[in-house]
Amino acid sequence: MKNNIIILGGGQAAIYAAREVRKNDTDSNIKILSEENLLPYERPPLSKDFLLNKKNEDDLYFHSSDVLKNENIDFENVLINKVDFENKKLFTKNDDVYSYNSLLISTGSENKKLSLDKNLNDDIYYLRNLEEAKTIKEKISNKNKITIIGGGFIGLEIASSISQLKKKVTVIEIGNQLMGRIIPKQIADLVQKTHIEHGNDIILNKQIEKISKKNDIYEILLNDNSLIETEFIIAGIGSTPSIKLFENTNLKLDNGIVTNQYCETSIKDVYAAGDVSNFYHPLYERNIRLESYQHAQNHGICAGKNIAGVKTEYSSVPWMWSDQFNLNLQLTGICDDYDEMVERGNNINNGVIYFFLKNKIIKGACGLGIVGKVGRDIRITSKLSEKNTIVDTQILSDETQKLNKLIQK
Amino acid sequence: MSEENWIEVGSTDSIEEEDLIRFDHQDKTFCVYRLTDGFYATDGMCTHETVHLEDGLVMDDEIECPMHQGIFNIKSGEALSPPACEDLKTYPVKVDNDKIFIKID
Repeated sequence: MKNNIIILGGGQAAIYAAREVRKNDTDSNIKILSEENLLPYERPPLSKDFLLNKKNEDDLYFHSSDVLKNENIDFENVLINKVDFENKKLFTKNDDVYSYNSLLISTGSENKKLSLDKNLNDDIYYLRNLEEAKTIKEKISNKNKITIIGGGFIGLEIASSISQLKKKVTVIEIGNQLMGRIIPKQIADLVQKTHIEHGNDIILNKQIEKISKKNDIYEILLNDNSLIETEFIIAGIGSTPSIKLFENTNLKLDNGIVTNQYCETSIKDVYAAGDVSNFYHPLYERNIRLESYQHAQNHGICAGKNIAGVKTEYSSVPWMWSDQFNLNLQLTGICDDYDEMVERGNNINNGVIYFFLKNKIIKGACGLGIVGKVGRDIRITSKLSEKNTIVDTQILSDETQKLNKLIQK
Repeated sequence: MSEENWIEVGSTDSIEEEDLIRFDHQDKTFCVYRLTDGFYATDGMCTHETVHLEDGLVMDDEIECPMHQGIFNIKSGEALSPPACEDLKTYPVKVDNDKIFIKID
């Protein structure tokens, strides 16, 4: 009997894991079980180039079905609704059974939903998958005043795209800055300024009291009694790991599926990767959960290696980006644990970066600039951080000095 | 190869080792690199999105896009890491009297 490897979830981590297993294991059966009837595709363009009609559906797929066929990777569109870890089986609601020897869980994360007037739940749109992006694109085509609830990455990227479609956009954020969960205020303020310069209204520090609908217009009442009239509402208020299927099992859960640095969960032969995994990061000596393109890819690859028996530790320095208007924002490492902050540059035309250091070692950095202007320095920062290099902060803060001189070869 | 297709880029000391410069010619834009074993040239724009590779990081034989960290082999143009999946076009380079030339087709 051949070894059965099942990958539950059909996103980026899944496809990279499947291909990595195949690289190291030519014999086993590999099957991806996906709730979406679409081959794995890239999500970053959904809120940007897809809404702007610069990319279409065909541009989004990581690989064609031919690639999967050539590598003997099965892809099946199926909804699993029960897991029996003890007997290594997955069940559909019709009791179709999938048996595995090794299981990778890469079910990703799902949008948090607003809980306001239940009658209006279907009137509020969210963007995570291709279907939702298509719906939003179609529905906004004849709307002019659009409100986005939540000033995080997804909300602001949609705000940027819709603004470029010449529509009036209002962003309502409950916190006192944009992207407050992970982006330093200095950078968030620069992003906010850019949105305002492009005509978007940004409302901070306000809660929504009530949403009501009159004819085709929504009225959003805020806690300062101000009223916003809008034709269409999109919410991006964060996400949670997709773990419902495992809630009554022995699988250890805590803000996602708890894994070690080898993508192993608390149950033997069960692995987790990508957004759903709260993994131990050896560099930071704690568990973290990430939702990013680079992480989904690299964590999937690492899981694939470990499933195929190539023991590999995951220690990638986190990195993520957001593109809004002509700006590229990049974040590397962890920016919430520092004793010193160093600023490099003061103009987004050349790029502005804030470095966060502890004991002269860079723990994280966040940069913003016209497209292309911060990437190189952020990448060098990742390398310095990964190697715990003690850095000369004079060089960090001096734009005229290249950062690659800090890399010790 | 006909001589007229070789376009002068500049002097060899205009590029530091493990670095690159941008070179624009007519309506095209290129990156010219100095690696430990010589000079190389590729198209200037990333094949993934509209961003110039002049601000990218050169490491060994690779150029990494500053926007989304797509990686290309400078010598072959091969796309090595997503989101880049389309190869980068490369161009022949020669050095004559401390001047760098690239052959544009």
